[in-house]
Amino acid sequence: MLSRDENELLTQTNSGTSAGEYFRRFWLPALLPSEVPTPDCPPVRVRLLGEDLVAFRDTNGQVGLLEEACAHRRASLFWGRNEECGLRCVYHGWKFDVNGICVDMPNEPQEYRFENKVRTVAYPTREYGGLVWVYMGPPEHQPELPKLEWARVPESHRYISKRLQETNYLQAIEGGIDSSHSNFLHASLEAFRLTDSYVEKVKNSNNLRAKYHLLDKAPWFTVKKTDYGLVIAVRRKAEEDRYYWRLTQFLVPSHTMIPYQAGHSIHGHCWVPRDDQTCWVWTMSWNPDAPLSHEDLETIRDETFVHARVDPVTFKPVRNKDNNYMVDREQQRTSTMTGIHGFASQDQAIQESMSPIVDRTRERLGTSDTAIIAMRRLLLQEMRELAQAHEPFAAQHGDVYWVRSASLLLKRDVEFDKGARELMKAEV
Amino acid sequence: MELNAQSGASGSEVNPAHIVPVTNFSADTLWSIIAHMEVSTDFEHLVYREAELDAIWSITGFFLVNEPDSNQREAVSRLHTGAHKAHDLVADRRPAEAAMLLRAFL
Repeated sequence: MLSRDENELLTQTNSGTSAGEYFRRFWLPALLPSEVPTPDCPPVRVRLLGEDLVAFRDTNGQVGLLEEACAHRRASLFWGRNEECGLRCVYHGWKFDVNGICVDMPNEPQEYRFENKVRTVAYPTREYGGLVWVYMGPPEHQPELPKLEWARVPESHRYISKRLQETNYLQAIEGGIDSSHSNFLHASLEAFRLTDSYVEKVKNSNNLRAKYHLLDKAPWFTVKKTDYGLVIAVRRKAEEDRYYWRLTQFLVPSHTMIPYQAGHSIHGHCWVPRDDQTCWVWTMSWNPDAPLSHEDLETIRDETFVHARVDPVTFKPVRNKDNNYMVDREQQRTSTMTGIHGFASQDQAIQESMSPIVDRTRERLGTSDTAIIAMRRLLLQEMRELAQAHEPFAAQHGDVYWVRSASLLLKRDVEFDKGARELMKAEV
Repeated sequence: MELNAQSGASGSEVNPAHIVPVTNFSADTLWSIIAHMEVSTDFEHLVYREAELDAIWSITGFFLVNEPDSNQREAVSRLHTGAHKAHDLVADRRPAEAAMLLRAFL
């Protein structure tokens, strides 16, 4: 449980709030490059951390991210003309470049123009790892880009999707690091009921997760604080002298990774506050060694796992709360726990059902919620330290993000971090 | 950090990296939590203690809702409140004070 004050401190992200200032110390995913595909293409609206912005790609190909309201009369620059290295407001013609400098003020007589005195809010951007990133904090604290593995593989090795979730970012992260929900929310009925046919199917399979979940229903949870955030380790008994470990990372401010089994693609998320009531869910799938396979891309297209189909303009998922996520009650009765198609939609349905901001004074946690407690405490600690002028370490040390999740068998006398070191270090 | 499976809560071998299983609010369970609390120093240890106290608070809360006629209500209600206070002390990195507070319920 959290106190009301702690809950507010963690979940409010506008400028001037603790969490808002913390997020403003990191580079954040802002938009897909394909949203502004070519120089001088139409601008698009972007809402981040409670701020309404407009993105455009100028004549030189540089992406600008400006306050949406024009500095003159507050008209929306979304209606603006993207022309000759600037975005021109169509109301009175004021024009701004990617740095927010007013470069033209045609409605004023030549002798009264003061464009060199006018600046609008503009945030620096970088195109990196298949995304446009933005930094919205104080210029003197501009951090390094995080050296996340998915951002450093060739484009053919990764797939990134973006969707809108109608909840605060925090409960979305909590879903991402809560390993115990997958045995229920994402389970088939035969897996949940452990039918004979299911047990037979998985006991000799190479799906380590399914196999060892059968053998040990009461895993041990361990968390460890690291330079990048947390590693969350869940240990189950395996054959003879071995344990089966699942290691996942929480990387500040809001990245997570799903345990990776060698030979398969890797998946991760980044949850970025759009405002206090909604967040952007960025989902990445990547293969460090080879282009994504036909099978990987088929899974993405079928929406069976972590990606979901969305409206191309609003990024609202096709399966959403307005249509009850297209729940199929007959499927729920006969074959799956939820009757909702795909892990992403299942997560979204359940997280959005908890209200936009969960009242954490009313929750009832147990020891299987250790990872969630650790993540909250870590963020609270970092936010309070920032309020005392201690800058977050990870923001200024992009190298610490070069890690990989893991799922593996280790001898019982080997500590997970030592045993997994070779596998967790990203090799790109 | 040692793995949390390597020792239990008995005697002098209390391992603060071990999560105490909390399935009830018996004196044994409270004693084990207190023993772990008294040797907890690291961020990870305090997270485990907070999880244990969350569980005590949850179980006592359910008891108070589900057992309206129990003659233990008053004592459980005090423990419920005490677990909440101890939880907040642990969250504030004051495990020794939390342990002292819980000792009153043994």
